[in-house]
Amino acid sequence: MVDTIRLAAQDITFGYVPTVPILSGWSADFRAGEVVAITGPSGRGKSTLLYVLGLMLEPTAGQVNINGTDAAHRRDVDRANLRAHQYGFVFQDAALDATRTVLDNIIETTLYRGTPRRLAIRRAHELMDQFGVALRAGAKPGQVSGGQAQRIALCRALLNDPQILLADEPTGNLDPASSDLVVEALHAQAHRGAAVIVVTHDPALVARCDRRLEL
Amino acid sequence: MSALRRWVAVVREALATAWAQPVASVVTIVMVAGMCATVLLTTGRTVGAEQAVLGSIDSEGTRSIVIRAEPDAGLDATVLGRLAHIDGIQWAGAFGGAQDVTNIEFPGATKIPLRLVWSSQLDHLGITALPPVANASVWASPAALAGLGMPDAVGGVVDGSGLDFAVTGQLTTPDFLAFLEPLTIAPQTADTPGTVSVLVIIAERPDLVAPVAEAVQSVLGVTDLTKVTLTTSENLATLRGMVEGQLDSFGRSLVVVIFALTAVLVAAILYGLVMLRRKDFGRRRALGASQTLIIALLLTQTGALALVGATIGSIAAGIGLAASGDPLPGWDFVGAVALLSTTIGVIAALLPALAAARRDPLKELRVP
Repeated sequence: MVDTIRLAAQDITFGYVPTVPILSGWSADFRAGEVVAITGPSGRGKSTLLYVLGLMLEPTAGQVNINGTDAAHRRDVDRANLRAHQYGFVFQDAALDATRTVLDNIIETTLYRGTPRRLAIRRAHELMDQFGVALRAGAKPGQVSGGQAQRIALCRALLNDPQILLADEPTGNLDPASSDLVVEALHAQAHRGAAVIVVTHDPALVARCDRRLEL
Repeated sequence: MSALRRWVAVVREALATAWAQPVASVVTIVMVAGMCATVLLTTGRTVGAEQAVLGSIDSEGTRSIVIRAEPDAGLDATVLGRLAHIDGIQWAGAFGGAQDVTNIEFPGATKIPLRLVWSSQLDHLGITALPPVANASVWASPAALAGLGMPDAVGGVVDGSGLDFAVTGQLTTPDFLAFLEPLTIAPQTADTPGTVSVLVIIAERPDLVAPVAEAVQSVLGVTDLTKVTLTTSENLATLRGMVEGQLDSFGRSLVVVIFALTAVLVAAILYGLVMLRRKDFGRRRALGASQTLIIALLLTQTGALALVGATIGSIAAGIGLAASGDPLPGWDFVGAVALLSTTIGVIAALLPALAAARRDPLKELRVP
């Protein structure tokens, strides 16, 4: 069981070009145990917001508070450490390493956290069983379908039982049955005490989230 | 996780990444192998030639000091005890005056000079065992044995006064004693008194010839220095030093130029390979890899590949030099070049590694 966590965005302002902010004074609270959907038209900065919350982008103003402490402006090494230990990410295009096997991709973050590889492999097999990709463990990402790649990315995100799970269009490439599996996994992680934030255009997914934030 | 286990994990990941990217890995290996082989086939050939040239002029002859004393000069075997206190001497031997001997079986046959000899390092002459009969056994060089008609080095010799010696074996005449040929010697124990006619000293290094010669003169213990002549190879040693210096300078310049050029080439190609993998590094950074870890991974990966490349390059260069009949540089030189090639490969990867570590993870992830 993950520890209960509270994530808050306070007056977040960000622009790839500083004079043209994509996000301006945006605030929201994310509580452990809930799945929050962020929706809105393309180009409004949904993914950008997700990456700011994920400490990959440093806001030009505002804070990203984790349990009351600003994490957005900490040193790079500290933010990397937080991403490795407290976050799980599902990227829009899965972002798998095409040169490594599915299993290697899932346990990749073990190195960044410094946790034992043996335990990670055991947990990875459990997750692959759960998401129906166990038979692809030795395959390369180029040999799996888009839907399988997305489920593999979800396995990787869940491997370290993250306190904050960020997912960018996690059901974008999935059939309805696989989408159900993913949604259930997101809720399961929320019930384990994680704050789950999903950027999506999928109305079915939005409908099954606990809360919706429109950008 | 302990530091050791974490380091093992980094090495494992670096090797797995190298294995998973065969084209980039082979390119890196080939580049470093080429760098190593190029240096060995050019500079190595120069060093090999230098070693051969210096070897030719560096036989002990360039380090020898020869003192000839007239019989009444007062130079005796006790001088060896005094020489033992002088630093920089590699070998010393005292030879008595020559007395003619003949094969004991053929009294009227060819006369060969026999000299008593005092030295604690007779192994330089191929004499390893103690004489079976102290002060009464002789060893002879092949030239002396041929003159005595004793090719098997078995028999005896007799001098003009009827004193006979047993021929115990054949000696090897080193270059610095060639002037005494045909050489027949009767080794004497250190406590056996005797007059010395020729004192031969080999300095440890050519540059020590002059100071050692000066020190030796002070301990000769002769009554009349005008009856002693000293010959050194100082001029030859000076020439040798100049030749060595010029060859070393040329070799060093060549090594620096070749390493510099190949290092730039290696760095440029590695930078290109890193840029091709920028999405990989972006993903790693996004998932929590620190900049330090990215650098460590890339340097470890490059170091392992460079080591393989340096090994292959060294072996290939060795085969090439052997096939062309060129002299091979010493193992220490080959090892140093291989180590330097590996190090340069790693250093060349440093800039690309820094660039990879500093890439914006999100920007790389969003590149199609």
